[in-house]
Amino acid sequence: MPSDRLRWRDVRATTPFRLTLLLGSVFLVALWATLATSYVFTAHELLARSDQILLMRANALLASPPAALPDRLRAEIANTTPGLSYFALLGRDGEQVVGNVDLPAPPRIGTPYAVPAAPGVHGPLRVLAVRTTAGETILLARDILPIQDLRIRLLQILLVSGLAGTALVVTAAMLLSIGPLRRVRDLERASRIIAAGGLGHRMPIAGRRDELDQFAATVNLMLDEVAHVVAQVKSATDAIAHDLRTPLTRVRATLHRMHQETPLPEAARSVTERAIEDLDAVVDRFAALLRIAELEASGRRAGMVSVDLQMLLGELAELYAPLAEERGVALTIDLRGARRVTADPELLFEAVGNVLDNAIKFTRSRVTLRLRERADVPVIEVIDDGPGIPVDEREAVLRRFHRASGAAGVEGTGLGLAVVSAILHLHGFTLAFGDAAPGLIASIELRASQR
Amino acid sequence: MARILVVEDDGATAEAIAHELRAHGHDVTVAETGEAALAAAQEATLDALTLDRLLPDMDGLALLARLRATGVQAPVLMVSALGDVDQRIAGLRAGGDDYLIKPFAPSELAVRIEVLLRRTQQSVETLLQVGSIQLDLLRREARVRGTPVRLLQMEFKLLEFLMRNAGVTVSRRVLFEQVWNYHFDPGANLINVHVARLRRKLELPDVPSAIATVKGEGYRFDAV
Repeated sequence: MPSDRLRWRDVRATTPFRLTLLLGSVFLVALWATLATSYVFTAHELLARSDQILLMRANALLASPPAALPDRLRAEIANTTPGLSYFALLGRDGEQVVGNVDLPAPPRIGTPYAVPAAPGVHGPLRVLAVRTTAGETILLARDILPIQDLRIRLLQILLVSGLAGTALVVTAAMLLSIGPLRRVRDLERASRIIAAGGLGHRMPIAGRRDELDQFAATVNLMLDEVAHVVAQVKSATDAIAHDLRTPLTRVRATLHRMHQETPLPEAARSVTERAIEDLDAVVDRFAALLRIAELEASGRRAGMVSVDLQMLLGELAELYAPLAEERGVALTIDLRGARRVTADPELLFEAVGNVLDNAIKFTRSRVTLRLRERADVPVIEVIDDGPGIPVDEREAVLRRFHRASGAAGVEGTGLGLAVVSAILHLHGFTLAFGDAAPGLIASIELRASQR
Repeated sequence: MARILVVEDDGATAEAIAHELRAHGHDVTVAETGEAALAAAQEATLDALTLDRLLPDMDGLALLARLRATGVQAPVLMVSALGDVDQRIAGLRAGGDDYLIKPFAPSELAVRIEVLLRRTQQSVETLLQVGSIQLDLLRREARVRGTPVRLLQMEFKLLEFLMRNAGVTVSRRVLFEQVWNYHFDPGANLINVHVARLRRKLELPDVPSAIATVKGEGYRFDAV
């Protein structure tokens, strides 16, 4: 259950955040692909142009007579723009005859190639080496620093656009998520109030007519119907409560008076006595049913206080110890961890008391009342060594009037566990049955209420 | 004899209540409406009232507030078909001293009235003596014919309540509410066992038990 404060992990889990991030990433990848493609084409074009210039110059030099080459090169060197073009003539022995650059030997003849650096030169060079008919080698080189600069700049653009783009996308995703998330939180808050019995509460509508508003409106419509039905049931229950209880009171009073004051034959006395007992049983069941209905429909929070579980269970054990003793049942108390929970102490006492009463009723020789902590949640366990409840009946015993197959012959209305279930549900606590081999473990998990 | 006002709009129920209270020796007046109840309360000093929550002319809670405002201090037993917990809490918060849910045995109502009457009359006593049993509330000591008896805390409270209401048949429900202060039905066996234990501790040879079981009704403490 999320808290009311917006957290990063809640924001990043939202659909708008994920969608914005996905779209933003696609946009960034497309941007990078465009930049990378334009870089590759531009670099290739620039290189091709350099190579073409080098080839044209090499062909022009090769056209000169070999003897005139040194002078021709000197003239080229003198006329060239400093720092852009370089020339060298190597003799047949590889020694440099003329030149304004010292390139690493041996040169690769025929095809242009790159030289990362040379003495006295700023940047990388594109070099073309050609062989003359006399066996000498002409080296022509061009500075390709602009191409390298272009690559660095493009990489910088990629990096900056990547970082800025990512930041922008994440920011946009957050901004787009927070609004809807806040509204979802409002809806959650409203639904918690409604789930806690606040049937008069409604889902908030922002007035934007978007999907959240449509959803809230649908839920509100449903709530109107539910509230209407609940109100009808409640008024019917109240009417039954009043209109049935008053005549029942009258019948019981008449029977009681007849039993107390009229001289009756013994047989008639025992009949009236049984009638009063039966009437009391009807009234008790009726009261239990109304009580379950009341607990289930209740938004009762008034009785909720911080309860000391050790104290409550200690009192409960004290109350039930004589009953256990009388039935020859060894009642063991094992309470660990001074835990407090928020609960209605009287209702919790009744619920655990009912479970304990059942255990004492059905056990063979012993019952243990235990308080434990499981994953930071206090758990009350009532363990007996009786016949247990078959796995397929463990859910059913929590329903009204259901009695487990092993309960035949034991006094009971089949409403006790339904009352327990209603009480625990009101608190948001849970009851589960397990196998104690032999016997039953009833575990009441007192998870802090989120309702 | 106490003066008791029964406020109840259902004639038959009012009659049954009045009959039972008169059988207990009380002077009973019946009022069927809130206005009649207010008028009756002005006429005489009351010792206790039973008050139905749903009256034809006003809500029992509103009537209770008006009665308290006119200076009626007598203990009030709220009687209602509205049995849910919140209604009971509302009734007690509004100034009711006890709450009884319909349908009830008139004898149960009479017991609760007795308990309320005795609570106001005897609250200052510190030494209770009924027959051969003596209870010193200050020293927390119980004696049977002068012999001290060791009682657990709850047994002491149970005995105190039974002795304060000696001669009155109190139901298990009333015992559980008044002694243990819990308002649910714990089943007959649980209270039986507690009473049986206390009874054994108070036993005297050749003397019937001071705590009698009244079949279908509850228990009664008698002087022995």
